[in-house]
Amino acid sequence: MKIAVCIKRVPDMDVRFKIGATGTSVDEAGLKFDISDFDGYAVEAALQIKEKANAGEVVVISLGADNVQETLRKAMSMGADRAVQLKHDAPVFDSFAIATALAAEISTGGYDLVMFGRMSIDTANQATGTMVAELLGLPIITAISKLDFDGGKVKARRELEGSYELIECPLPAIVTIDEGIARPRYPSLKGIMAAKKKPLETKPAQIGEQSYTLDKMELPAERAAGRIVGEGKDAVPELVRLLKEEAKVL
Amino acid sequence: MSAGHVLFTIIFVCALGFFAANIQRLIGELQLGRTDDSRWNDLPTRFGNFLRIGIFQEKIFRDSIAGPMHAAIFWGFGILTLGTIEFLIGGVIPGFNFQPYFIAPVYAFFALNQDVWAALVIAAVGMALFRRLTKRVKRLQCAETHPNDPLLILSWIASLMITMFAYEAFEMVAHPDTMTPMLRPISFGVAMAFSWMSPSAASVAHDLAWWAHGLLVLGFLNYLPYSKHLHVVASLPNVFLSNTSGPGQKGVMKAMDLEGDLEVFGAKDVTDLSWKSLLDGFACTECGRCTSVCPAHTTGKLLSPRKIMINVRERLESYAHAADKSTVADRTLLDGYITEEELWSCTSCGACVQECPVSIDQLSVIMELRRNLVLGESRFPAEVMPAFESMEQRGSPWAFDPGDRGKWAEGMNIPTMAEMAERGERPEVLYWVGCMGSFDDRAKKTTVAFAQIMQASGVKFAILGQEEKCNGDPARRMGNEYLYQMLAKDNIETLDKYGVRTIVTACPHCFHQIGNEFPQLGGNYDVVHHSTFIESLLEQGRVPIVQELHGPVRTFTYHDSCYLGRYNDVYDAPREALRRALPVMNLVEMPRSKDKGLCCGAGGGRMFMEETVGKRINVERAEEALATGADAIAVACPFCMTMMADSVKSRNANVEVYDIAEVVAGQLRA
Repeated sequence: MKIAVCIKRVPDMDVRFKIGATGTSVDEAGLKFDISDFDGYAVEAALQIKEKANAGEVVVISLGADNVQETLRKAMSMGADRAVQLKHDAPVFDSFAIATALAAEISTGGYDLVMFGRMSIDTANQATGTMVAELLGLPIITAISKLDFDGGKVKARRELEGSYELIECPLPAIVTIDEGIARPRYPSLKGIMAAKKKPLETKPAQIGEQSYTLDKMELPAERAAGRIVGEGKDAVPELVRLLKEEAKVL
Repeated sequence: MSAGHVLFTIIFVCALGFFAANIQRLIGELQLGRTDDSRWNDLPTRFGNFLRIGIFQEKIFRDSIAGPMHAAIFWGFGILTLGTIEFLIGGVIPGFNFQPYFIAPVYAFFALNQDVWAALVIAAVGMALFRRLTKRVKRLQCAETHPNDPLLILSWIASLMITMFAYEAFEMVAHPDTMTPMLRPISFGVAMAFSWMSPSAASVAHDLAWWAHGLLVLGFLNYLPYSKHLHVVASLPNVFLSNTSGPGQKGVMKAMDLEGDLEVFGAKDVTDLSWKSLLDGFACTECGRCTSVCPAHTTGKLLSPRKIMINVRERLESYAHAADKSTVADRTLLDGYITEEELWSCTSCGACVQECPVSIDQLSVIMELRRNLVLGESRFPAEVMPAFESMEQRGSPWAFDPGDRGKWAEGMNIPTMAEMAERGERPEVLYWVGCMGSFDDRAKKTTVAFAQIMQASGVKFAILGQEEKCNGDPARRMGNEYLYQMLAKDNIETLDKYGVRTIVTACPHCFHQIGNEFPQLGGNYDVVHHSTFIESLLEQGRVPIVQELHGPVRTFTYHDSCYLGRYNDVYDAPREALRRALPVMNLVEMPRSKDKGLCCGAGGGRMFMEETVGKRINVERAEEALATGADAIAVACPFCMTMMADSVKSRNANVEVYDIAEVVAGQLRA
């Protein structure tokens, strides 16, 4: 089975962000980047499909400036066979423009399955995968936590609140991956060495027209520090009063 | 020449030839290992170790009962070997002995020693058998060893001594005119007991005893290479070639070139280990001292350093003996003999290495196998993954914002290197805070305390702040050399950018790593641990402290950090710092302290792993500390602090755990 996994390079979320001087981008100084979490699950799931079948190919695709090559190499160090960079130096925020470029690339690849993370952990739009499916006219199952194959069909499980649904559709298809499907492996040094020699193709991204642009970024307001109103049962009346009058939750 | 001498000569030559062939076989087996050119440098230190640890049995004496016992057998063997040489030549050349070649008192001394040491050896062998059969010393009773081999060997040694006395005694009975009661008093005593025999009967008895002794000697020589008692041959060379007591710094992990085209990362099989590790396998006599001090083993984990060495030798032999090499790949050292679970139990505390009487380095085998697991196969406990990822992403094994690294120093007026460099200044020392010291709430108190001491003492210091990163020690000890080198190189670049020479740190892991292991990657700095630094400030009278001579007398016990103690021999400075800060304090020692100290359980990356098997090591250690009756426990390592504080707290003991710096800072004049 030939599988494409679309991955995004995102900053590590455990650091404090600063807005860059332009006001429309994040200050990258001190930030560390990696594969977006859900995309990492997708890569792992794809590798497991390939390993189980002991056949097939896993191709990772990412759109962005040359720094995405590092992200693509990481996916190859996990075991992906080759990579495609859709080069575009300026950040793109319009999901549809990104989907257009990805769809153009994927349509030429002859893939049986295309995998996305359920969403990227930085912008969290949950849009790109679905848009690519629409553009290519392929069936899509979103936010899946398990997948199997049966003949020419993919069977996927989606977690719902307190239940789940099982959906199947014919291949080729697109799936977007939720967490819980597989824990991404840690690249071995052997894998890292091998990844240096794997093919990474760079092509210009055929970005569609961007229908929206980013005007301004702002950090959320700092949350006020917590307060200790007292200790033991003597503090209860004051706490209740504050919950009623200040927080207005009672 | 009698027929007997001819026969003996033939047997003797065959036995020597067979022994030589066996030694050649063993050398061939060692050559299956990787090359290791770090074994012939600094010959004076090596000869020193050879004399101290080998000949004078320094480490053997760490066990006060088995020590003298073994030393009697060892020294006895050395002295009796001279007699054996005389005996063997006498077997080939009729009537030969050393007497004509030495002046009388020298020969008399020689003969007397033969008799006395043979008796001592018999006594020691008796004691050894008693310990094995009756007293059943725990470390000698274990499934992983070869339990019958020592009984055979001990009986063999006893037989050698008995036949020696027998042929000497029967010779005296047969030829009363040659009796030398003063030179061989014990043989003489035996002769007296047999004085009723006729000279001709005694002569036959002598010949029988003589032949029995001769055959036992040659048989013993040739049994050794097949027995765990190969250590008789291998240990002295092993002590000489070992680096565990120098030359060089102890506890430093083997350098690894990641740029080279390596086929195997670390070691998967014996052929990936250094030949010296294979010699370690030959030198191991399964005494189990290593295992008896191993914190993992003694708290019920699967790891036994002794088993690791037994496995190395077993695997080497099965590999070397296999005619068809393609079949031996099925059962490699890793997985086939040693499991992942054993390897991940190791805290890298170095107690096994410290304890081994013949300077075996069990730890480096464990670390090489871990390297293979991680670098080659990405196999490690799942809970370690966040630590690896965080070290890579945020330069700290914990998921804290690197931007907050210097936050503890806010309002303390402590400059960063960058700020000093901007002003064109240079600090006296760089304070390397470390990840725990920067982010862990408990460790931050130590960090602040140490900074206060330096400020009060007028030390001009700076920190790196955000530019500091994990030194990589946890990654390296967990086998992730790639991640380690990435972090270490980043740090070296930062340190060299500021031309840093002297570094002080409150973390023994940072201390050991930066001071002793960064040089492998080209980073050379003088690194001082804060306990030594504080001690010297106190000694110079630079620290303005109040020395209360009255008031309640507190009782402290000090818990040694492995990376400070065993790895770097810093035992006195932290204790001395405590005494200087609190002149009326009682300092009590735990049963396991200094180089016998028990690990807290956090080293070797264990800090980041679950401890689900057996008793928790930190509980074991805290119980030992509490049993001293101390009302406070002092530590000098943030990892030890966490482990000790957690377990003391869980026992609801009203005992505080302090870092040395906190104790001293508590005495600072307001």
